Amino acid sequence: MSVVEIDWKKKNDKRMTLKEAISTFVKEGCSIIFSGMGGAQCVAQTYEIIRQGVKNLTLIGDSPCECGDMLIGAGLVKRAEIAWCSYAVAGLGNNFRRAIEEGIPHPIELEEYSNYTIGLRLLAGALNIPFMPTKSLLGSDLPVYNKMIKEMEDPYSGERVALVPAANPDVAIVHVSRADQKGNAQIEGFSSNAENMARAAKHTIITCEEIVSTEEIMRYPNLTIIPQYAVDAVVELPYACHPWNFPYAYAYDITFHAMQLEAFKTREGFLKWLDEWCFAFDSWEGYLEKVGYGRLDKLRRIERRFTRSSL
Amino acid sequence: MDYSLQELLVAASAAEIKDGDVIFAGVGVPTLGALVAKLTTAPNAIIAMESGSIGPQPYRVILGIGDNPCVENCICTTSLWRLFSDQQRGYFDVGMVGGAQVDKYGNLNSTAIFGKGSYTRPASRLPGSGGANDIASSAKRTIITIPLQRRRFLERVDYITSPGYLDGYDARERAGLPGGGPAAIITNKCVFRFDPVTKEAYLYSVHPGVTVEEVKAEVSWDLKVAEDVKVTPPPTEEQLRITRILDAGGIYTQGNLKNLTFDKYINMLEESYESLKEIFKGVR
Repeated sequence: MSVVEIDWKKKNDKRMTLKEAISTFVKEGCSIIFSGMGGAQCVAQTYEIIRQGVKNLTLIGDSPCECGDMLIGAGLVKRAEIAWCSYAVAGLGNNFRRAIEEGIPHPIELEEYSNYTIGLRLLAGALNIPFMPTKSLLGSDLPVYNKMIKEMEDPYSGERVALVPAANPDVAIVHVSRADQKGNAQIEGFSSNAENMARAAKHTIITCEEIVSTEEIMRYPNLTIIPQYAVDAVVELPYACHPWNFPYAYAYDITFHAMQLEAFKTREGFLKWLDEWCFAFDSWEGYLEKVGYGRLDKLRRIERRFTRSSL
Repeated sequence: MDYSLQELLVAASAAEIKDGDVIFAGVGVPTLGALVAKLTTAPNAIIAMESGSIGPQPYRVILGIGDNPCVENCICTTSLWRLFSDQQRGYFDVGMVGGAQVDKYGNLNSTAIFGKGSYTRPASRLPGSGGANDIASSAKRTIITIPLQRRRFLERVDYITSPGYLDGYDARERAGLPGGGPAAIITNKCVFRFDPVTKEAYLYSVHPGVTVEEVKAEVSWDLKVAEDVKVTPPPTEEQLRITRILDAGGIYTQGNLKNLTFDKYINMLEESYESLKEIFKGVR
């Protein structure tokens, strides 16, 4: 059972810079999870952790993209409890591949689940119960190679179920459409596993496209997926997902992503990318300036043609 | 009408969808197939994406399971665990899955090609299950899409990421899996189906111009062949017309992603808006 530390969560103004939030909560050796699924990835947050060089992380996640592949490539991940690591349409997770196939930059421990069962681990963590039964995983080789997955007979019906352990990460980083300074976090669109990772974690950092007033939150309370009592810090972080999309905000920059992943095909290309796009700047604003606000504005304007925020 | 192999595969995927089906689809050809079905023979089909979006009718091509088109004109946005719970509950009729290796019982590997190595140090590490294991476990039927190659069609996969019929016969039921298992394997040369008793894959149809011998040469077990092997129906004019509107930029059907520039991409999105809006009018 996790012990919830409440001091940060009781604050009335939780606003911080991304740099402060990462250095306050993301400590060497901690376990960490990020929101996003097949889009809406925490890219700015990943770059800041790489800049600060926080080592020996245990990465928990369903299908991490940059926050899996790049943290592994940067040598910051000791262990990964995940279902998948790649970039889908735009390319493969070559840092993840190099770590597993060749031990570059160093070998990592791997504990594999499926997307749903990572979701159930977080649900169990959020419910403060020790595990969750499921009908997934049965008969496959996931339980063969991951001894944390148990099988048992349901004591009521005798049916077979697989069990996955609760996950209570030290830190959850969740990117949302908007939040107030207390951390009431609203999202338009899908939430993947965000509401449970925020509740399961010991510390939750909310990053948002926009900080709004509490009155504004109260106008649409049904959009609040995470209430303030589960939040430790709030960071305003526009375009945090670039080159990925964020629903109702900006379109996927797939041509930028293709260029990035072309660079990641070699170890040298990845390291050069880090120098040019991460270490060259003190903050995410530097990255965004290099991408170009004209380009970002085009992604925002084209998105408005397809999905228009109702807020 | 001339058509490409990818367009034939879109049509073959569409042919697996029945009206009213609730479908778990990944990106690419299978989703195009599901959308083509919805816009032709299955107007009441509901497509769901893993990120938590149900029933999108986007006016642009979907570039990821959490891409913004997934929330566009959809009926529900929810969470991943909720959507997969709905599937485990039994609400999903069809799941579309892929992999790097498949075996005679439709078990799929998308985790690692061991080669001379092992699980912990494989010759080739693949992305992993993602939601594929969950879909293969709980969907009432799964449609597998994979290229036909001897190194992929194996007596036994290195690692079962997504369960098919395991060891055949009633092995799935004995394992406690709720879903019905694979209904078809769609490849670039043919379609396989499964024997109702042994649950072993057999050759059901060959694509136009492909011979049974060509298929057998690319399968590493002694493949069983239907007594009356069919020819996979080519895409209809209507299916082709819709496929070409849905993927006007040729991202999935012509491999155009590598030639795409930022300006061409923005233009592609702008142009798709009106043409897709028009074809979705009939299914509201």
